[in-house]
Amino acid sequence: MARGGVVALKGLDLVVPRGQTFGLLGPNGAGKTTLVKLLLGIAFPTAGKASVLGRPIGDVPTRRLVGYLPENHRYPAHLTGEQVLHHFGRLSGLRRPERSRRVDALLKRVRMDEWRSVRVHKYSKGMMQRLGMAQAILNEPDLLILDEPTDGVDPIGRREIRDLLLEQKARGATIFLNSHLLSEVERLCDRVAILNEGALLREGSVADLTRPQSAWQIEVRSTASGAIEAACRRVPGAGVVEGRAQGAGPAESRVQGASAAERRVQVLGDAAALNALIDALRAQQVEILAVTPRRDSLEDVFVRVLHEGEAA
Amino acid sequence: MRVLAILIDTGRELLYRKTILVYFGVVTLVLLAFALLLRTDVVDGVIASMSVAGLEASTSRGAFRLGEGGAETGLAGLSAQDFVRYVQLGAAFTLYPLAILMSIFATASLVPRMLEKGAIDLLLSKPIGRPALFASRYLGALLVATANLLYLTCGLGAILALKTGVWNGGFIWSGLVMSLYFACLLAFVVLAGVLLRSTTVSVMLTAVVFFTSLIVRLPHANQDWPLLISGRIARFVTVGIVETLFHTLPRTYDFVQAAVALIRHEGGLQWGAVLGSALSGAGALGLAIIYFSRRDY
Repeated sequence: MARGGVVALKGLDLVVPRGQTFGLLGPNGAGKTTLVKLLLGIAFPTAGKASVLGRPIGDVPTRRLVGYLPENHRYPAHLTGEQVLHHFGRLSGLRRPERSRRVDALLKRVRMDEWRSVRVHKYSKGMMQRLGMAQAILNEPDLLILDEPTDGVDPIGRREIRDLLLEQKARGATIFLNSHLLSEVERLCDRVAILNEGALLREGSVADLTRPQSAWQIEVRSTASGAIEAACRRVPGAGVVEGRAQGAGPAESRVQGASAAERRVQVLGDAAALNALIDALRAQQVEILAVTPRRDSLEDVFVRVLHEGEAA
Repeated sequence: MRVLAILIDTGRELLYRKTILVYFGVVTLVLLAFALLLRTDVVDGVIASMSVAGLEASTSRGAFRLGEGGAETGLAGLSAQDFVRYVQLGAAFTLYPLAILMSIFATASLVPRMLEKGAIDLLLSKPIGRPALFASRYLGALLVATANLLYLTCGLGAILALKTGVWNGGFIWSGLVMSLYFACLLAFVVLAGVLLRSTTVSVMLTAVVFFTSLIVRLPHANQDWPLLISGRIARFVTVGIVETLFHTLPRTYDFVQAAVALIRHEGGLQWGAVLGSALSGAGALGLAIIYFSRRDY
């Protein structure tokens, strides 16, 4: 899709299976919001085709099955929170008794019941997001599309939104999530795609993308100066990781009256390499505190993929 | 139900803006003034005596006066029918423009606000087609403005009927004709709104439409003026522009004439002017809907 000489999306081929929670990642201007707008018929593609819930994009009746929370959503300032939900419920085709039941339940669920009669222009950012979530799931959608749902929300609010999304996932809804908060995406999503400059750089399950590499990290402690470094020199691919091990105590601590340094070392390779390093460390009288396979966080993957993309 | 949702929301938004409420308040004050302060005594269709706020009314030296010996001079045989029509004409000349002006101010922001980022995304994600969404917004504004005009015409018509026994249905029709005029202007307001997304510019462009429609009527009505232009091409182009504007803009003057004629029961409605204006409004609305339906948001 191109507008005014700017290609917003190019060669994008993506399938989101039903019932999955899908995260779309990418830096600002990557084309994430444009993709969402195309799926919802808010913008039109200049080329290519796409479908939502088995129907071509732009199909108006299909939108009855879709819930959407846009980034920086803006509700009519003259409406109260309750009126906002009724308004969008009516637009979604919900009839009165059912609509009222859902509005009441959702206002309680997102802890906005006490604010139901207050006009939305008096709401804080977090309250607007909670109301936005209620609006998005009001019609119990089969597909829930969320653009930065936790933007500007405090940690407690983020947790509430996450719980709400997990409920929707348990209900069987497909969730399409645009977010900069990679930790949120990592916790919630089954699959992710990384987009940059309108092109798809990587797509896969969160488990695959962050799968353990052929690398191991060992937390060690030694009272002998240079013992850890000496052990690492004996094993190819081994080295001391800069910085202190997470969750470790003070780097320098007193053990049996001697000065003990706690370090984290890493070795690249298979189990044989790991055992060789352990043997070398033990030969130097270094204590082994913990051994963990090295796993990339989604943030690591995201940064690496973007760098690879830029280099290519 | 979806169209109803947009209509309800548009009504709420207009009431929230207060502009419409100000007009409603002014009309209410006028109606209350007529209901509480006007006293008439009608005998055989003629106003035998009349008082306003306790002051006797009279006509002397060709002028309508209050509290100046009305008992002696009387109302010179003023018929109740004429009295009702004069009052209604007065109301039409003062309150119709106010109604149109207030309605334009109130409704000019409807489309630009709807198109704001974060608001339009949500609306377009709902199961309602773009033409229906836009047309409902337009219809909502029109209904509110029409309700206000009918509140004036029906209210004042009923009060005067109770006071004098004369019911003038033409006054109600004149209100509906002005609603049609507003519908034409509103179409240009929403067209400007969807093209430029600015409330201020929408109001300004509507004012330009209003005044241009009044101005081009003069050269259109005067067949000789093109002779003042010596160059044939310049004359042709100028006449073309004037005639195009005359036929494509709502004909403000003709609507006023139509309203007056309806109130006074003099002459028939100029259907050509009314239909031509309705067509220009429909054209503007159609353009706005097409543009709205095809644009990326």
